[in-house]
Amino acid sequence: MSAKTRVPTAINGGPYGQAWSAKADCLQSVTGLILGIFLLFHMHFEASILLGKETFFHMVQFLEGSMFSSTDHGFPIVTKIISVIMLVIVAVHAATALRRFPTQLGQWRAMRGFMSSIKHKDTQLWFWQMITGFLLFFLVSAHLATMILNPEIGPHLSAERVYHDNAWLLYVVFLPIVLFHGIVGLYRVILKWGVSSNRPLIRTIAHVLIVYLLCLGTLSLVTYINIGMELVLPVQPFIPN
Amino acid sequence: MKLIYTDSLVIGAGLAGLRVAIATKERGLDTLVLSLIPAKRSHSAAAQGGMQASLGNTVKGMGDNEDVHFQDTVKGSDWGCDQDVARMFTHCAPKAIRELTNWGVPWSRISAGPREVIMNAQKVTLNEAEEAHGLINARDFGGTKKWRTCYTADGTGHSLLYAVDNQAISMGIPVHERIEALSLIHDGKRCHGVIARCLITGELRAYVAKSTTIATGGYGKIYEISTNATICEGIGQALALDTGVATLGNMEAVQFHPTAIVPAGILTTEGCRGDGGILRDKDGHRFMPDYEPEKKELASRDVVSRRMTEHMRKGKGVDSPYGPHLWLDITLLGREHIETNLREVKEICEYFLGIDPCKDWIPVRPTQHYSMGGVRTNATGESPQLKGLFSVGEAACWDMHGFNRLGGNSVAETVVGGMIIGKYVADFCEQNSLEIDTALTQKCIDKLQAEIDHLIDGDGKENPFEIKIEMQRIMMNYVGIFRNGPELEKSIKELKALLVRSKNLGLKCKKRHSNPELVEALRVSRMLRVALTVACGAAARTESRGAHSREDYPQRNDKDWLNRTLATWPDAESLEPVLRYEALDVMKMELPPGYRGYGNDNTIPHPDTEKRVQQINEVIASLGDNPDRHTLQHALMPFELPSHLQPRNERLTDTLKTMPSQPVGNKPL
Amino acid sequence: MSRQISFNIFRYDPQDGQDKPKMERYQLTETPGMTVFIALNQLREQQDPSLQFDFVCRAGICGSCAMVINGFPTLACRTLTANYPDGEITLMPLPGFELIGDLSVNTGKFMRELAERLKLWLHPKADDHDMHRLENPMAPEEAARIYELERCVECGVCVSACATKQMRETFVGAVGMMKIARFEMDSRDARTADDFYHVIGNQDGVFGCMTLLGCQDNCPKDLPHMQQIAYLRRKMAATIL
Repeated sequence: MSAKTRVPTAINGGPYGQAWSAKADCLQSVTGLILGIFLLFHMHFEASILLGKETFFHMVQFLEGSMFSSTDHGFPIVTKIISVIMLVIVAVHAATALRRFPTQLGQWRAMRGFMSSIKHKDTQLWFWQMITGFLLFFLVSAHLATMILNPEIGPHLSAERVYHDNAWLLYVVFLPIVLFHGIVGLYRVILKWGVSSNRPLIRTIAHVLIVYLLCLGTLSLVTYINIGMELVLPVQPFIPN
Repeated sequence: MKLIYTDSLVIGAGLAGLRVAIATKERGLDTLVLSLIPAKRSHSAAAQGGMQASLGNTVKGMGDNEDVHFQDTVKGSDWGCDQDVARMFTHCAPKAIRELTNWGVPWSRISAGPREVIMNAQKVTLNEAEEAHGLINARDFGGTKKWRTCYTADGTGHSLLYAVDNQAISMGIPVHERIEALSLIHDGKRCHGVIARCLITGELRAYVAKSTTIATGGYGKIYEISTNATICEGIGQALALDTGVATLGNMEAVQFHPTAIVPAGILTTEGCRGDGGILRDKDGHRFMPDYEPEKKELASRDVVSRRMTEHMRKGKGVDSPYGPHLWLDITLLGREHIETNLREVKEICEYFLGIDPCKDWIPVRPTQHYSMGGVRTNATGESPQLKGLFSVGEAACWDMHGFNRLGGNSVAETVVGGMIIGKYVADFCEQNSLEIDTALTQKCIDKLQAEIDHLIDGDGKENPFEIKIEMQRIMMNYVGIFRNGPELEKSIKELKALLVRSKNLGLKCKKRHSNPELVEALRVSRMLRVALTVACGAAARTESRGAHSREDYPQRNDKDWLNRTLATWPDAESLEPVLRYEALDVMKMELPPGYRGYGNDNTIPHPDTEKRVQQINEVIASLGDNPDRHTLQHALMPFELPSHLQPRNERLTDTLKTMPSQPVGNKPL
Repeated sequence: MSRQISFNIFRYDPQDGQDKPKMERYQLTETPGMTVFIALNQLREQQDPSLQFDFVCRAGICGSCAMVINGFPTLACRTLTANYPDGEITLMPLPGFELIGDLSVNTGKFMRELAERLKLWLHPKADDHDMHRLENPMAPEEAARIYELERCVECGVCVSACATKQMRETFVGAVGMMKIARFEMDSRDARTADDFYHVIGNQDGVFGCMTLLGCQDNCPKDLPHMQQIAYLRRKMAATIL
């Protein structure tokens, strides 16, 4: 009467073994967690522009490893390397998340039919997470491609990219989508693994975070646009006092 | 003709039916269960409060044993039960509890040390023994000397049913769901199975079996307001009655539970009162001590229900659009207790009444609850008239309840009865061969087919729903808690008129497959025959015993009525059953008729009672000083049981070298 | 005080080749304390005797009567019509189950198959206890914890409220995982984490669940799905790490 023997393939079935599904699930959560936390830090680092060009400059230099440099300047290659790593993480996240997507027409129909007959907020949230996830695949790739090809970051260089290279168009779309996907993803990963089972609290924190980061991101973006408008071409990198 | 063969056929997948199925499957017999609904939805799941078994683990249960449980059960039955059966039952109840533990029931367990309980509206601290820690707990129920009702919060029936059905699934016992058995295949001497209709496809099937066990529960739904599920319509009893041969026993013995909510008629468990809840009237006065100073709210169910009705008749009920009701007050138990041990009650109050029972009183009144009567069987569960026909649980009149059942004894009967009778069913299947009489089977199928054809193609005009509602109203108004001759006669007259009308049913929905109107039409005439059996039995029994209470005959009359009503319906065209009576032999009773302990003792004694009491005294004297209780019991009334169920039950007190010290305030053992 | 209320009821008889799914409208006079159970029976008795639905205990205990009421799957027997101030009530059968007709679905068949597939019964340890002897003790807290999970009534609401299940036929659904959690918790059960891993440690079990929480949000018995499934997921993930 022991269940030591495997139950029929109806359960274990599918093209993948059991260990695969466990690993895929863990990987999806871990990569999601990394990306989510990265997002939180990223938003704050970049918002340091709100404290002035000086602060932002030093922040960038510090993050690019200025303490290892004799010139007090960091290495833009660090940005490049981090971007490559992030791209890999994003790729893994996307690949593991893809198993959730309704890949067959029938599944898609079932999903839509379900959403039209049963009212459930968290399911609707997930639907939008799926849509944003799909969009992010392109948006993140575009963003990271820029950072890999052109990793120079600084108050003026970034502002130039935002304003003169018209990257603000990308960021206006990117910001709300990535925030929604990231924060909702963090909310779900916390509940999924039972880090906390106080769902109302986690939900409140998620709401607050989304609003806060949206404000923060928008303000930063406006600041860059303002800086960008004041810059004369060709742009000279910012030199601290 | 679709024929399905099996060894052991069980009708009804509640606790009793499943337990019999398990017993026969264990013996390697091919077993098949028919059910109107998925097994886990059976009405057994609705039993809330608990199951009686004399484990004696808790400090308030210590000193309990089979003898005490037996005496409570016999007294509870108002001496109407079969004492042999009550003995078989009380002996096996602890075994059933322990077996169920091995099947997964998470019985509530004892925590050693002090715990606060409410007794007689006072807080009392009980001190549980160290040695009892983790053993099965028990709560107090009405009509019992000891705390004996084992429970899992207030979802006992649910936990039991799930455990037993899981066991059945693990053994691969098939349950044919949404199948309704509508007639028995029999030749007047031997039962060969049933003709059943699939409620989805409408197909008629013959299930041919060595043994057929009716485990379909009670017939509460012949009443308008009942705590019973919608499926407890007495079709199992009708199956037996319609043979014209098999007898139904004590059909007039119908129990009314004191505390069903108003107006929905949904049960709140006796555990509410067992755990310390009290009853109040419109002035907020706790009235039960005025009537029953000793037992108060925990008198036997029939007594509490009658006292409540009496009190409401004095104008002390709370008026509501649905008639008067009283209050059940469990606020004194405290939120923590209610939210852990009375969760289902709390949910019911919230959803159906919109109240919080931790703060508010619950509107309750006595409501039809249990059918003591049913298919008459002997102690092995077999019909004395039809060989191969067995019955078990509430469906049966195995007769451990007589005229009133104790709370907690019904869940117990299902699993204990199922355990014992299942063994006898298995024996029967091993000793008999399958007899297939295709001509007889075809005849039975044709008869049912003709009945269906007549309903669908006939030109009848009567509406089955209307007739059923009318029947339920009659039973409610005239065959209720208090009964009297004129009203009973009126009920019989009106029910007969309905039975005549039911021969002229006409359906609006002509579908032959899933058709709820056809289902109703097939049931209603069967239910009417069952209802008439109840009403005629009640009219004929000119005494008051247990739940059968005649205003015009208030005395328990052992001289003329210490017997069991047996009803048959030999002539299908007749409008009433034939009643016979089977005497209960006082000279064989271990516990001769006596005073039950409620109200005045106004019993008209049986001439043999005194003789038997004297005889018992002589037996006791002959056994010398301090005879062993088992020896004494055996000397007074030896009873039979399958050999593997005969060993004695071990109790905590048997394993202890010294008895646990009794805390101050606890009554001595 | 009595008002007219309207019911929009899904009607379809899959056994009738001519029939097509449709919504039908009925009206009746509300009575005090009226539940959907009372209303449906009244409709059947007085207006349409062919109307199919399932009720057994009509007290919220047996789990027979789950259906989708105005977009929320729940037990119909204990749903008061007074909960709908506009007097409009739409009834749909539970999605995800075989339809018998109108509002009646075959949850019983589903649950039995699930129990057989996942072996949802107690697998006692070898020292099977003698029923004539004193029972083995169990911690009172453990018994109470098991009962918490035992309260499941197999109504099917969690299955119908789960978008994952709707998109993935073979997914075991919350009911299956909760029952596994119940036996995993039971010290009398002989199965180990490895045994359970073989049954639900896969894409059709805990690693297929997307934590949409339709189960928990609609469960009529308020079972702690989120917490229990998270617990199982951690436990199952740990077995491969």
